[in-house]
Amino acid sequence: MRVSSRRLGVYAVALAFAIVVNFILPRLMPGSPVDAMVAQLGPRATPAAVEAIKARFGEIDQPIMMQFLDYLKGLATFDLGVSVKYYPQTVVQVLSRATLWTIFLVVTAIIFSLCVGVVLGAIAAWRRGGRFDTIVSPFAVILFSIPPVIVALTTLFVFAVSLRWFPVGYAYDPNLDPGFNFTFFGSVFMHAILPMLTLSPFLIGEFQTTMRSSMIVVLGEDYVTMGRAKGLSNLAVMFGYGARNALLPVLTNLALMLGAVFGGSIVTEIVFNYPGLGLTLFTASVARDYPVIQGQLLLMTLATLGANFLVDIIYGLVDPRLREAGR
Amino acid sequence: MRIRKKSLRNLFQRTSLAAAALSASLAFSAGIASAAESVLTMHIEEQTSWVSNFNPFDLAGRRQSTMDFIYEPLVIFNANDGGKPVWRLATSYKFSDDLMSITYELRSGVKWSDGQPLTSADVKYTIDLMLKNPAVDTVGVGQTVASVEAPSPTQVTIKLKAVNSEFPESLADLAVVPEHIWKDIPDPVAFKNEKPVGSGPMTEVRRFTPQVYEQCRNPNYWDAASLHVDCLRLPQISGNDQMLALLPEGTVDWIGSFLPQIDKTFVALDPQHNGYWQPPAETVAFEMNFKSSNAGNFEAFKDLNFRHAFSLAMDRKSMVDIAGFGYPVVNLHASGLPPRFESWRNKAAEGDKDAFMGFDTEKANKILDDAGYKKGADGFRTTPSGKPITFAVIVPNGWTDWIDAVQIAVEGLRAAGINASVATPEYEQWRKQLLDGSFDVVMNSRADSATPFQGYYQSLSTAYSGKLTVAAARYSNPKLDALFDQYLKSSSDEDHKKIFNDIQVLIADDFPVVPVFNGPTWYQYSSKRFTGWVTDKDPVMNPENHDNNRMRLMHLLRLKPVQ
Repeated sequence: MRVSSRRLGVYAVALAFAIVVNFILPRLMPGSPVDAMVAQLGPRATPAAVEAIKARFGEIDQPIMMQFLDYLKGLATFDLGVSVKYYPQTVVQVLSRATLWTIFLVVTAIIFSLCVGVVLGAIAAWRRGGRFDTIVSPFAVILFSIPPVIVALTTLFVFAVSLRWFPVGYAYDPNLDPGFNFTFFGSVFMHAILPMLTLSPFLIGEFQTTMRSSMIVVLGEDYVTMGRAKGLSNLAVMFGYGARNALLPVLTNLALMLGAVFGGSIVTEIVFNYPGLGLTLFTASVARDYPVIQGQLLLMTLATLGANFLVDIIYGLVDPRLREAGR
Repeated sequence: MRIRKKSLRNLFQRTSLAAAALSASLAFSAGIASAAESVLTMHIEEQTSWVSNFNPFDLAGRRQSTMDFIYEPLVIFNANDGGKPVWRLATSYKFSDDLMSITYELRSGVKWSDGQPLTSADVKYTIDLMLKNPAVDTVGVGQTVASVEAPSPTQVTIKLKAVNSEFPESLADLAVVPEHIWKDIPDPVAFKNEKPVGSGPMTEVRRFTPQVYEQCRNPNYWDAASLHVDCLRLPQISGNDQMLALLPEGTVDWIGSFLPQIDKTFVALDPQHNGYWQPPAETVAFEMNFKSSNAGNFEAFKDLNFRHAFSLAMDRKSMVDIAGFGYPVVNLHASGLPPRFESWRNKAAEGDKDAFMGFDTEKANKILDDAGYKKGADGFRTTPSGKPITFAVIVPNGWTDWIDAVQIAVEGLRAAGINASVATPEYEQWRKQLLDGSFDVVMNSRADSATPFQGYYQSLSTAYSGKLTVAAARYSNPKLDALFDQYLKSSSDEDHKKIFNDIQVLIADDFPVVPVFNGPTWYQYSSKRFTGWVTDKDPVMNPENHDNNRMRLMHLLRLKPVQ
């Protein structure tokens, strides 16, 4: 596929850039991991204890070029180093603990929002100017303007603290041990609902709006008129002819928004004490845990690039014109 | 107070643990404990995920339930009981006549949790390990100890480098580790000690997940007769907000959190069982840098009149009520003695000497006028020799309660014509400034131990001047140093008291720092499942469950499950 191979070069440059920025960014923050650990100790930080911590993380004081070389060497061998905050766990251990939870959360939220947003957008466009459209469409704009932190705090307070319908934190009931049984999955589900709903409004608003405008354009196309003329049912025309073609901009949007979804998940995970990457990144930043921050940013860069790549491929599948051009 | 660091909460229903492990019959109805087992849920530290690490030598990484509960101290000194010793692994200690060595008598018959005997060889091994490997020297024996011997299985003799009658207190934080386990550990710093073998009451880590861990009864605990709790349960809680959200579930028994508006957010949830006692802890004081590089500030700080006026400009009550949510307690003593050391108080250091401890702007202005601090065109005073006085009071960014308190202080100072302001560097930067001396004024607390001596010694002696953050003032007074020296060289309680009386008078007279209030300790409890909680009606010990309070072990031993 020509489209993909041309873009591969772009991805390579983006990746190299990310790797360098990733190294520099944490080091621009004031304070060092050793300072942060000493701060944690408070008055117990006797000179001997401070020396001990410095000795343990001595490599952090190396010249910056040496640090960069070590960093590159580590990347090549998938050895991202040892976490400062969660010492002696390695970065890979820390991240793998958290990654699944975030993927679970983000993917569920995206699928849910995609379904809701696309259907709402399609219907609103179909009945453009109708009652449904005049209510739902402005509402969608409001939805994606509300910062996730507000949604998170409100849902936490209303549904978890006041009504107590849902738990206030964790990925599953701490009394349970993970296992393939109904109780465990039920618990995971219950604990994911609020964080997932918190992430969704912004996504639904975004998808609905994009879908609606794209659908309106598509509905003006000759083949839609043709479909109607053939006497196809409204539903068949709406989804088979209209929505299918109108989906393309929504998919592009999805790839672009992946970063924003991760951003939202940071807030959500902190508020709901959900053990994902967001919470890990937050703690690591506070602790100046360079190795974890680096590993995490790298992971997110790879995820975003990977998602873009995937969308490129899906695009080819969904849009027959591109498929033709690619051959 | 460092409110931002603390929050605790508890989480979940306490269910019968055995059943909870796997079965689907999770009892969601709160408070059903199996008759056979009593599980105490507590919150000590904020973490986003539990990491299994019970290495007592890893101060920053160890779980905060490692000391005391897994590794029992030799002896605990009870600050609420005049610093009297509570004997644990040791039954007594005795200094040699020249005070250059000390011999601990160990309790006989004590076993490690794996059944092996705990002997003087283990104590010797632990101290030797620290001497050999400074990275694990968590109590600073490298500076104080010359050598260790084990003359008999129950006796340890420690030879000191210098006379130091306070040495046993510095050893209070020592975790004695079993030689038969640790001698095979190649790197004691990186060791995670996930299956600890210890001497304390709660050594068996039964369950460990990122969200919760449980520490259960030591099968060979020497003081098992006093232990009525079978397991400690520590749910992961990442911050204050989370704690507040969890409180309504009523699942935590022993909490060490900052809870704003505690009567409303905690007690009101279950007035019958929920309680708290937050007794005043260490003294917080304004410290002026006696080595300030700014000539005008330097001249002013050195002047007793200026320090008195500074003190009179402090609205301590507002600091407590507005900045501290009413939790701290105003300190109105020129000596700055914390209330918990009431039994050490010297009446001769009070009365007239406390005349400058109120809030009286008029009097502050008058003192400065009389001493020749003239106001300039901008309304701010200069020193008697005509140099400008201008300084920032530094306080770490994010310590919101402290920042508010400093703001109140600065308003007071400006009303007295002193050009003060607030600066909020990052904590690391703040700490660095205290150590390198590049600051003018700081609001600071000192670390107290079981007797008031250590706090004063570390913050005001020439020996520590500028070397510890608590000694930021760089105060140096040969007379005070002589008293400190005398104190360290005498070993009788009577002498100690007498010398400390003199120390209080000297400090009240010379007024090196400006005490303002005493921060609270953090202790909340629920008597729904356990009784025996220490309250203000019977203040026999510090009940805080944080890692810096060794008496928390004795508090655990007081608790009994509700029948």
